[in-house]
Amino acid sequence: MMAKLKTFLASTNGRVFGAFVIAALLHLIGTLAIPGYSSPFAIRAMLVIAALLAVASIGQTLVVILGGIDLSIPFVIGFANVVAAQLYGDGWNFVLVCLLVSVMAALIGAFNGYVSRKLDIHPLIVTLGAGMVVQGCVLLWTKGFPSGSAPSAVSAFVSIGGSAGPLPVPWLVPSVVVLAALIILMMARSPYGRRLYALGSNPGAAPLALIDPVRMWVITFALSAFFAAVAGVLLLGFTGSAYGDVGQPYLFQTIAAVVVGGAALVGGRGSYLGTIAGVLVLTEINTLLIGLGFQPAMVQAALGLIIILLVSLYGRERHVSATI
Amino acid sequence: MSTDGYSSRSAALWRSMGFAALLLVVLLAVNLVLNPARFHPAAWGALIGLAAPLIGAALASAPVILGGRGGIDISVGPTMGFVNAIVIQALFLKAGMSSPFVLIPAALLTGAAIGAINGFLTTIVRIQPIVATLGTYLVLTGVTLTILPAPIGPAPAWLKSMSGPLSILPLAAIFLAWWGIRRLPYYDQLMAIGSDDRAAYTAGVPVTEVRFIAYVITGTFAGVAGLMLTALIGSADPNIGATYTLIAVAAVALGGVSLAGGRGGLLGAAIGAIDIFLLQSVLTSFNVSTYVLQIAYGAILVAAVILTAVQERAAKRERA
Repeated sequence: MMAKLKTFLASTNGRVFGAFVIAALLHLIGTLAIPGYSSPFAIRAMLVIAALLAVASIGQTLVVILGGIDLSIPFVIGFANVVAAQLYGDGWNFVLVCLLVSVMAALIGAFNGYVSRKLDIHPLIVTLGAGMVVQGCVLLWTKGFPSGSAPSAVSAFVSIGGSAGPLPVPWLVPSVVVLAALIILMMARSPYGRRLYALGSNPGAAPLALIDPVRMWVITFALSAFFAAVAGVLLLGFTGSAYGDVGQPYLFQTIAAVVVGGAALVGGRGSYLGTIAGVLVLTEINTLLIGLGFQPAMVQAALGLIIILLVSLYGRERHVSATI
Repeated sequence: MSTDGYSSRSAALWRSMGFAALLLVVLLAVNLVLNPARFHPAAWGALIGLAAPLIGAALASAPVILGGRGGIDISVGPTMGFVNAIVIQALFLKAGMSSPFVLIPAALLTGAAIGAINGFLTTIVRIQPIVATLGTYLVLTGVTLTILPAPIGPAPAWLKSMSGPLSILPLAAIFLAWWGIRRLPYYDQLMAIGSDDRAAYTAGVPVTEVRFIAYVITGTFAGVAGLMLTALIGSADPNIGATYTLIAVAAVALGGVSLAGGRGGLLGAAIGAIDIFLLQSVLTSFNVSTYVLQIAYGAILVAAVILTAVQERAAKRERA
């Protein structure tokens, strides 16, 4: 029985399941320890925060399965956030603004993927450098003081107090659920998804199966930047005004969500369902610790400890002797 | 690693850090033209002091990266900040200890202990290095902010006096230590693991122990870098340390150390760090806004790694 449980927890499905169980346990602890933890408003707030993180983590999930990492996500979030607000404030049509921001973000991502794969440079450095350039350009353009705001439709879409028809949550939450289902379907069923896992688990063999690595990296990093831009525009609606550093907390949070969800940073393993579980775990931990009255600095320290603890429970790597 | 004679070894050295060294010469020349007073040889001592924490952070980051299989320590910056806080706040101001014979060992031991924790998490618990050290990153920044909510000073006089030309001493100590390590069989084992850990394991190299020790070395060097940071700012500041992490990794990559492990060395890492320092200084002397500074900084970082990669590919083709 114990051995069976152990092999189950070591499998990818087991890791995802484990993460969901931990999120549920954390929620139970919160409900018992903090009055009002499960009140409708608190749950709504957690769902909205989790949905935003879930959108920002889509790209990191894809990139990590491919065997890369994308540090440009926070910078692209800030870029989309500021540029969308600025252009909309200048009187542009908001649909046009979104289109422009998406295309520019996708180009940034495509550059990251192309340079990393084609020249075999670690994506850590490429995405960090590209991200810094993007942020610098935005700062230069706005002279450090971004202006403008989100159209009211976007604000209503993400507002914690909003409702989606009969549902007591803003449209963001059901939309992210549908989006998540589509992403999971795409990763499991589409040729792109198959190629993603194939290339991630064996970069040497995949080209022999006629998978073009450079093309895959370009597409995947472009997708990552695109979803980061989506998160940036949504955050604009959430906070109300533009802020270039709005994406900074997402640098480590997206990586943590992906890893807590059972993905391996060496590539080939992981799923978006797992990332969703990771997102829920992180949101629960954050809310719980703040609710227990910890200072932000201690919340951060505790978050670090819990990430280590969780990953050591079910995210362990194999010993080198087991890889031969 | 090639062992077939001196010429191929120096060729390999050139391939890995040639670009960084070239950049160093160019940047130094540009700096000398733009700002002769600041870069007058008489002022080099002070300059080394300014660059010392970054060089130290880059040197500290290198050993675990050389060990391969995603080895990286992103907690190097926070370790420096934590050492800074412990030395000034806890030992000097609260406990009144100012002797170098207490503070230096304390800084080294703190660094080594953090390195040992990272090593335990990555090699024995076997958490992916970037995740494990992300965990220690968050814990260390949180704890540092808790014991030191706001900047506080001063530092002991002897430590502050280390900020100028004397900062060459801790850097020399790191290089001396590394020079010693290179003479041990341990160094060859580390490079072998970095190139191909499975082959090294089948050849009887104790992979886990070697990687664990690499983390301890990194932590200890980060402790030294923390002391250099303390000397430079002459106080304790909870927010500075963490900023060194990513820039140190960038410096290491620029200096020709492969992030996949097994290739490069500490000299390259140091040159990469000096490149970044000189670059900052060139850009500042143009008196442009910090935004342009950041753009140029990121662009040159990407351009530099691209050029290094292109050069490596050309060299590979030549051999083939």
